[in-house]
This record gives sequence, structure tokens and C-alpha cells, in this order.
Amino acid sequence: MSVKFVPVQWNLNKYAYDAVLILFVGIYILAFIRLGAPDADFTRPVDGRILRIRAFGTCAFFMLSFILCIGPLARLDKRFLPLLYNRRHFGVLTAGVAFVHATHVFAWYFNFTPLPRYEMLISANTSFGQLLGFPIEALGIFALGCLLILAATSHDFWLSFLGAPVWKQMHLLIYPAYMAVVAHVALGYLQDAKNPAFAILFAASSGGVAVLHIVALTKQSAARAEASEWVDVGKPTDIAENRARIIVLSPDERVAIFRYDGKLSAVSNACAHQNGPLGEGRIIDGCITCPWHGFQYRMNDGRSPEPFTETIPTYQLRHKDGRVEVNRNALPPGTHVDPLEFDEATA
Amino acid sequence: MAAILILIVQIYAGIGALVAAIFLTVGMGRVEENARGAYVFRPLLIPGVLLIWPIVLLRWSQIEGNRLRPAARHEPPLKIQRWLGFALGLLLPLIVMSALALRQDGPFERPAVLLEAPQ
Repeated sequence: MSVKFVPVQWNLNKYAYDAVLILFVGIYILAFIRLGAPDADFTRPVDGRILRIRAFGTCAFFMLSFILCIGPLARLDKRFLPLLYNRRHFGVLTAGVAFVHATHVFAWYFNFTPLPRYEMLISANTSFGQLLGFPIEALGIFALGCLLILAATSHDFWLSFLGAPVWKQMHLLIYPAYMAVVAHVALGYLQDAKNPAFAILFAASSGGVAVLHIVALTKQSAARAEASEWVDVGKPTDIAENRARIIVLSPDERVAIFRYDGKLSAVSNACAHQNGPLGEGRIIDGCITCPWHGFQYRMNDGRSPEPFTETIPTYQLRHKDGRVEVNRNALPPGTHVDPLEFDEATA
Repeated sequence: MAAILILIVQIYAGIGALVAAIFLTVGMGRVEENARGAYVFRPLLIPGVLLIWPIVLLRWSQIEGNRLRPAARHEPPLKIQRWLGFALGLLLPLIVMSALALRQDGPFERPAVLLEAPQ
């Protein structure tokens, strides 16, 4: 089951998602410049170029804040999941906006310097020992470097080539990058901003990211503390026919329990192709079908139908007091497990 | 010092360009079955190879040497994310509050005062 790589894998949802994103970015930049224009002429400290620098910079900050909110929101409420699926396009666009901000800064503040411009960029301010006047350029360069790495390795090829664990660990760079961005803005533009609206929005955005992460992690910790070897799934009939229920076994692991023909089977929620959410797919032609790219697996052994060779881990199920439980210990990918049968009339 | 840093970055990018040229023409089909016969997407990967070429070379050698564990792709990758999430939750308010405390004029601009020369 192979899918040849293409530059961008589009579908209708992604077109809509990207169109809305680009629209919002355009409106924000135009509104920022239009509203700030009366203050921007050559007689005042803020001119047009600085206004554009701030427009793109603050836009990238708010985009990044929103991206970081998507993960916790989706964990707290499944209605936010659609935002999660195309988050990579969001990230690439954010890196692009941040890059435009950086090129404007470079072309404005480091033009006409006696030293080569790149050297000037990293040697203009070296007051690392003080907070007020801290060289925010270094924070910005670090954050932009992280964002460019994330954007440059966002193609599906990288996920497949590096493997999900390495790819995911690399993309955790978003956390230090965001902290650097917050410090960059807090020690830079925030010190100079005359309009309190930005200070309020900035504190609310970064505070929102912080609170959402703490709440989502606390909720997961509570679920983990209650964990035993067998985890409750619910009644068999709670699961729609040919669909699945996703159970979070730990912050890192999800299992999908599928119902079909009076039987239940449990497999890993992560597709072997690109870790797509199998539990949000359905059973088509007798196989679990990934909603992302259509990869298929048999329910009872997690193997793709021949001649394909992909395999995913399977899990054991059991009845207990009229409910179903799943064993949290995954079996090796492709291991056969007899489906758990139940009586649809009495369940 | 700044000149040395720039030189290091230039050398890193130069090696990255060389690795990109070899990997995207020769290595790609060897390490990734789905990339065989697919060429249009390859230029998109150039920035990635330029930035993380040491990881590309390491991974390529692991695949060529058959040193990858197939089961590794199913191992939970997110353990450290938990700690990073908590760090984010604690450090962000600290950074913002420190910066607001540092502000010399507060969030509102003081009214302008006309200074006059002493008589």
C-alpha cells in the first residue's frame, strides 16, 4: 500500500483551512498597517517600515500562540480535532510570516552598517548580562531557526524517513521557540508599545497558552493515576457499527476499539503510514481504513491485506460486568487476537 | 567572533548543499520506497536537508546498514512533551510578568511635559 509522494497532499478540507488562514493573515496585516498608518510618517519614531516589521512580527506571534493552543484544546474537547489535522500548513505559513518580519528587520536596522550586515546582526548588541536591553535579536534568530527547521521538515517524507518518534521529538522545538518568541516580544516591542491593547493581547495570548497546557496535562495526569492494567471502554453498544471508540491509555498512547458484526477488536490508533488517527476512520470492505490516506488493516491482526505489508500493534479485550475492558499492554504489531464477541440484542 | 560564527554557518550550509545534491538524487530512492519515481516534490526537501543534514546522514546510514528496529516507530514519542508543557506553563507567565515589571513607563504613556530653560 504505497502512496507516491507529491509536493502537497490536498483535499477539500485543506483547501478551506488554508484559504481561511491566508485570509486572516491578510486582514490582520492590512488592518495593523491601516490603523497604525496615522502614527507612521518620517517625522515620528514609527515609520512605515517599522510598522510593517511590527505587523508581521505580531501576526507571527499570534499565529504561533494559536498553534500551541490547538493541541491542548483538541485533548480537552474533540470538536477542536479538525484544527489539528492541518496544523502543519498553519506552521509553515507562520514560519513564512516570521521570515518576512525578519527580512524587514534585517533590511531596515542593519542597512548601511560599517561591518558586513550579518556580522553586525550578531554583534550589534551583546549585553547578555542584563534584562533591560537584552539582545532580543539572539532570541529572534533562535526562534526563527527553530520555525524554519519545523517548516522545512513538515513534508510527509520527513515523517516517514525519520520515523514518528524522531520527527515528533524534533518538532518539540516549537516549545523552546515559543518561549524565545515570548521573551523576544516581551523584552522588545512590549517595552516600547504605547498602546495598552497590545500588552493586554500579548499577556492574554501567552497566558492562554500556559493555562491550556497546564489544564490539559493535569487532566491527563489524573487519568493516568487511575490507570490499571485493564482500562474501561464502556458498553459495546456505545460504539457505532463499523466505527471505533478511541481510548487514551497514556499521554503517549491511544487505542481504537472497532465494532463490527457483533464483534470488537482493538488496534493502535496510529496508522503505520503517517500516524493518522485510525479510530476516526471506519471499516470499509472489511478493513479498518485510515481517514487520512486510506491505508487499510484487518481488525483481528492489524495487518494490511496482501500484498501490502504494513502492521500495527493490537490489544486484548475482555468483558467485565456488562462492559468491555482493553489491556493497556500493546501486543507486537501484526499479532492475531480473537475478536471479542457480544450479543447485540442484550448488550 | 561574529565573523567566525558566520563562517561556521556558511561551511555548515555548504556541506548541507552537497549532502542535499547527493541525497535527493541518489539516496532518496534507496531509503524510501514511496519516493521512487516521484521527483516533483524533491526540491521541497532541499531546505530541510540544508538545515538537518547531520541527522539525514545518520538516518541514511542506519537504513543502509539495516540498523533500524521496525517496532521503534510504534514506541511512544511524547514523554518529554509532558515536561516541556509544564515548563511552558510556568515560564511564560514569569517572562511576561518580569517584562511588564521592567517597563519604565507602565502600559500607559505619560503625558508629554513641555520643558523650559531655567530663567
